[in-house]
Amino acid sequence: MRRWLLIAVPYLWLLIFFLVPFFIVFKISLSDIATAIPPYTPTFDITDIRGFLSQLDFENYAFIFSDSLYVNAYFSALKIAGISTVLTLLVAYPIAYGMARAPKEWQPTLVMLVILPFWTSFLIRVYAWIGILKKEGLLNLFLMNLGVISEPLTIMNTPTAVYIGIVYSYLPFMILPLYASLEKINPSLLEAAADLGSPPWKAFWQVTFPLSMPGVLAGCFLVFIPATGEFVIPDLLGGSDTLMIGKTLWFEFFANRDWPVSSAVAVVLLLVLVVPIVLFQRNQEKEREAAR
Amino acid sequence: MTGAAAQSSSPTSTQPRAVRTPAPQSNFAPWKDPSKAPIVRFENVVKQFGDFVAVKDCTLDIYEREFFALLGPSGCGKTTLLRMLAGFEKPTSGRIIVAGQDITDLAPYERPVNMMFQSYALFPHMTVEQNIGFGLKQEGFPKDQIAARVEEAMAMLELGRFGKRKPHQLSGGQQQRVALARAIAKKPRIVLLDEPLGALDKRLRQTAQFELMGIQERTGTTFIIVTHDQEEAMTVSSRIAVMDHGEFVQIATPGDIYEAPNSRYTANFIGDVNLLEGKVVKIDGGIAEIDWGPGLARFKATAPDGCVGDQAVWLALRPEKIQIDRDKPSDASNAVQGKVVDVGYLGSISHYHVELSNGQRVKALRTNSSRLVDRPISWEDTVWLEWPPETGIVLTR
Repeated sequence: MRRWLLIAVPYLWLLIFFLVPFFIVFKISLSDIATAIPPYTPTFDITDIRGFLSQLDFENYAFIFSDSLYVNAYFSALKIAGISTVLTLLVAYPIAYGMARAPKEWQPTLVMLVILPFWTSFLIRVYAWIGILKKEGLLNLFLMNLGVISEPLTIMNTPTAVYIGIVYSYLPFMILPLYASLEKINPSLLEAAADLGSPPWKAFWQVTFPLSMPGVLAGCFLVFIPATGEFVIPDLLGGSDTLMIGKTLWFEFFANRDWPVSSAVAVVLLLVLVVPIVLFQRNQEKEREAAR
Repeated sequence: MTGAAAQSSSPTSTQPRAVRTPAPQSNFAPWKDPSKAPIVRFENVVKQFGDFVAVKDCTLDIYEREFFALLGPSGCGKTTLLRMLAGFEKPTSGRIIVAGQDITDLAPYERPVNMMFQSYALFPHMTVEQNIGFGLKQEGFPKDQIAARVEEAMAMLELGRFGKRKPHQLSGGQQQRVALARAIAKKPRIVLLDEPLGALDKRLRQTAQFELMGIQERTGTTFIIVTHDQEEAMTVSSRIAVMDHGEFVQIATPGDIYEAPNSRYTANFIGDVNLLEGKVVKIDGGIAEIDWGPGLARFKATAPDGCVGDQAVWLALRPEKIQIDRDKPSDASNAVQGKVVDVGYLGSISHYHVELSNGQRVKALRTNSSRLVDRPISWEDTVWLEWPPETGIVLTR
């Protein structure tokens, strides 16, 4: 009996905090907007299930797919997340590689330094980038004082600022799995490669990179999945030009107060992300199997 | 090549010893031939790690087709020496010459040597075939040629069925063979083996030793093995360099190392030995008369080079060279009396621990070739130990 209770705890948790909310959101996405509290109709009525169900429909989904704004926002979000993921990988790989190759006694400190930014609020860190990137911000001041540029660069409120923001914010999620897989590589494998005639740059592509693949995949999914739904960074750094589905959803919900449509947007976003999430799970599973 | 190795390896072993293919190889001794140039030459090689001197001024010649063993306890510098030859460590000073070419400054991937790693270091993401073919691929061989050479190496090590498997799907013994196949696939002039059989269990290790020797003979390659297992070194090698604290203590054939150790260190390291401490009283015509302490007759032995009067010396006596008997031998020049304090019966042989009158204990072996039911030697018996004069080696260090 006690064993069952123990096993039931995580399932109960998932049921109460994931499955039930998901069905609530799904139900709202099938409702109609109303000027009321809550701002949709119908509300759940236990006495008239049949009448309640007959009022639900997929109108909102049809609306999302008929309006190019939403479709574009989805594609734009996927594109921005995809490019950011690649950029994050390019920045994170050398860092993780350096960490894995650093003297053993330094490594815990280096991992600590990677995690350190998490001790500050995410929102504050993104705001800080405004101070760096804006016209009279630190970056422009620095470059102008150095004489590299004469006119301030326009980075704020452009996609570039969004990329910088995402790469910066999600860097630890890429570095840590990369470091974990790089650190596991037996150094004698590289000696063996050199011994068999492979110079270091070749050995990197023949041995190190393929062996770090689980880390590369895990890091990419950990960045890509949340970045797709990101709304704080495009909202604060991207300005009005940057279209991302997370921002659209936020706007639909809080500014437009159209709960049914924003719920439909959220459900579609979830479906879009199910594919990479399933792939991510599979990658994790495969790695666990290989570790055995 | 190592006929001597077969008969002289540790007498305590109950395992069947190697019977090496005889005649033409038995006089393989290029190190005695001044016209032969060594394939590997370490020239005053020193390696320091910070303050720690791992290798102290080592000079060593290794000849083509040799199976050369670097033997010593962990931390004696043998692995460092091997890694310097592979190119993973750079000598602090000195030169390393391979086939007449100074390779001291060459990167590992430019050297004509291949190494078999202690951990095997098989690439986990590649199949057995890809692992073995890795070196050939680096040289840019055409695909069909790589496949042929890989197949050849796999056939030699009986790995035919495992070509498509990944290393983690193989047993330890199979992985060891893949690692060896990979090291010989490029047909290097020199194969380096770093404790190649250390991870195998004892029985598998003995089979693997003979396999190693077979492959070394068939390929005609020079093998250099690093090991801390004296039995392994004795079994496989043509010559052994015994190392201690970064220095060579003795470099000789297994037979010479066993029969004529040059120091207490070597005598102790290889096989079982009794060391009797004494003092040289006088030297006459190359024969030293040695005082072994109160209660023991002085006896004579061949004086080693550089031995002077009044010097402390040790007599090294292999247990199996000592005859043990109840009666005083009639015509033995070297005989002492003692009391049996311990008997160990191992079936094929028996160990006797005999205490001499000066308190020193001597171990003697006796093969149980006839059933000694009539007069077995037992605890507390007074016995005579006797050995032919030439079997006792006088050591000065």
